[in-house]
Amino acid sequence: MAKKTAYLGMLIALAFVFSYIESLLPIHFGVPGIKLGLANLVVIVALYAMDIKTACVLSLVRIVLVGFTFGNPANMIYSLAGAILSLLIMILAKRCKAFSVTGVSVLGGVFHNLGQIAVAAVVAETASLFYYLPMLVVAGTLAGIVIGVLASLLIQRLTKAMP
Amino acid sequence: MKKIYRAAVLAAVLTIFAGVAWVQIQNQTPKRYQAQFFDCFDTVTTITGYAKSQEEFSEKTKLLWEKLLYYHKLYDIYHAYDGINNIKSINDAAGKQPVQVESEIIELLKLGMELYQKTGGKLQIAYGSVLSLWHDYREQGINNPAQAQLPDQKELSDRAKHADMDHLILDEEASTVYLADSKMSLDVGSIGKGYAVSRLSEYAREIGLEHALISVGGNVCAVGAKEDETPWLVGVENPDQKSSEAYVCAVELSDAAIVTSGDYQRYYEVDGVRYCHIIDPATQMPPNYVSSVSVLTKDSGMADALSTALFNMELEEGMSFVESLAGVEAMWIGKDGEIRCSSGFKIHEEK
Amino acid sequence: MKKNDIILIGILLALSLAAFGGAALYAKLGTRQPQAVVYLKGKEKGRYPLSENITLEIRQEDGGYNILKIEGGKADITEASCPDKVCVRQRPAGGRGESLVCLPNQLTVEIENGGEDGLDGSTN
Repeated sequence: MAKKTAYLGMLIALAFVFSYIESLLPIHFGVPGIKLGLANLVVIVALYAMDIKTACVLSLVRIVLVGFTFGNPANMIYSLAGAILSLLIMILAKRCKAFSVTGVSVLGGVFHNLGQIAVAAVVAETASLFYYLPMLVVAGTLAGIVIGVLASLLIQRLTKAMP
Repeated sequence: MKKIYRAAVLAAVLTIFAGVAWVQIQNQTPKRYQAQFFDCFDTVTTITGYAKSQEEFSEKTKLLWEKLLYYHKLYDIYHAYDGINNIKSINDAAGKQPVQVESEIIELLKLGMELYQKTGGKLQIAYGSVLSLWHDYREQGINNPAQAQLPDQKELSDRAKHADMDHLILDEEASTVYLADSKMSLDVGSIGKGYAVSRLSEYAREIGLEHALISVGGNVCAVGAKEDETPWLVGVENPDQKSSEAYVCAVELSDAAIVTSGDYQRYYEVDGVRYCHIIDPATQMPPNYVSSVSVLTKDSGMADALSTALFNMELEEGMSFVESLAGVEAMWIGKDGEIRCSSGFKIHEEK
Repeated sequence: MKKNDIILIGILLALSLAAFGGAALYAKLGTRQPQAVVYLKGKEKGRYPLSENITLEIRQEDGGYNILKIEGGKADITEASCPDKVCVRQRPAGGRGESLVCLPNQLTVEIENGGEDGLDGSTN
């Protein structure tokens, strides 16, 4: 138990650092709020190397921490919507066993962006934001591939060490 | 495997550094802004330039506006302003006493005198006596087109006698100007704007605008090139107002000025004949040689003065005059719309 | 990576690229439309596509006004309160970089069509 908690703490710290690094280099896809999602790497690793519960806790704690340190409450709602949707889809995708880590990560990336844009559309009361949809899907897919490949490398190594 | 791992870490770190550097560069890339003023030289002033933010740009254009407004006041012949002696002050004191003025007026008048010599009197800054008469008739003609009239020829030639440049006396040491003929007056409309723009472009550089396009009513002066080092593109307006083509061509401009004098902007009509605002000192009448002349040269004051002088010359005479000057190019648009260029005048080719 | 992953990625990319192409084409059609941009005292007040015929009354607090008519892909000032009427006399503007100016009312109308090859200024 203590070991698991230590790992959780470490992963949260890692996700936190990744978020910070990302805030330093907002990669512009022409749409505000779209990011590579480095932190998602940590969430996926937790999902595979540990369990669903850990991944959920990790994801939520990270968002709240990052929201209060680098962001603002408004951004936090977007992140939260994206993260919850993304996590749900990833859990389902992992369960059905049709995809490898990369496929799960791609789905996670795409739905993270979809969740964000959905909230943005509701908040801004405009559907024109869905105009960006194709761009978001591409961005999510590409980011998902990168994260997925990295994650599968990490999971291979970490499953041996992790509880 | 370890090697690959190390390489991956190294690559990741490098990517992060490159990313941060890229973001910093991005934040420093200036954007293009434009500002317009309406209260200088009775025309629209447009300043196009680059800055990191609207605030930064506004800060600079405010300084430019103040400077331009100052020149506007100095070179005004119709209004007096508190605390400064301007051209009107000199005119009001004609035949009475010298007027102490700022160096910007002395310098302008020196340029005017120099160009009077160079152009054989085609540019006349002491021609207020004749110009003011035309001005009054033109205003009446515009306000009441049915009653538009021409000034009396005899009155014109009488007034033209009070335009002797020798009666314009500058004392540079005392910084004074004296008009020795009480009926004489200065009208710097043909050079004031251009000279002010020239000084303004220098000032723009001083306050850190390295790339800007300043246009004061078609007196266009480029400070440097565009941000990407390509030249500014400036259209030369089509004198044929009925044509659907607004511009006859475009020219490239960097660190240079272009000024056009034409008969199609400020004019009035008497019995269906158009009389424009430029008056040939030789005849006291609007010249009828060409529709417009554009002059391209380094200095905007020079360009302004020369465009007026060339408008008062026959095309061939003007052409040989331009060819005799170094660093000056010109383009004429004839009454029939025909375009003639001096040997070095380059028209921007459409891509 | 599994085969399913590749298929998933392929489908996602193909779908979004198709949608992206469609949207980009639509956007291009939209912004390429020439617009008349109205500025009062140097501040942007409105944009009007030249493709739609419309007559605008631009009135100001001091009672000054200009009537801007957009017709047949061109913008023209047909009436104005200013004494000199220079703006009314100006030829209708429709091409890239063209403009209408009313100095007394501090009004400018500039034609923008999203093209990058426009002029930066003009001399007259």
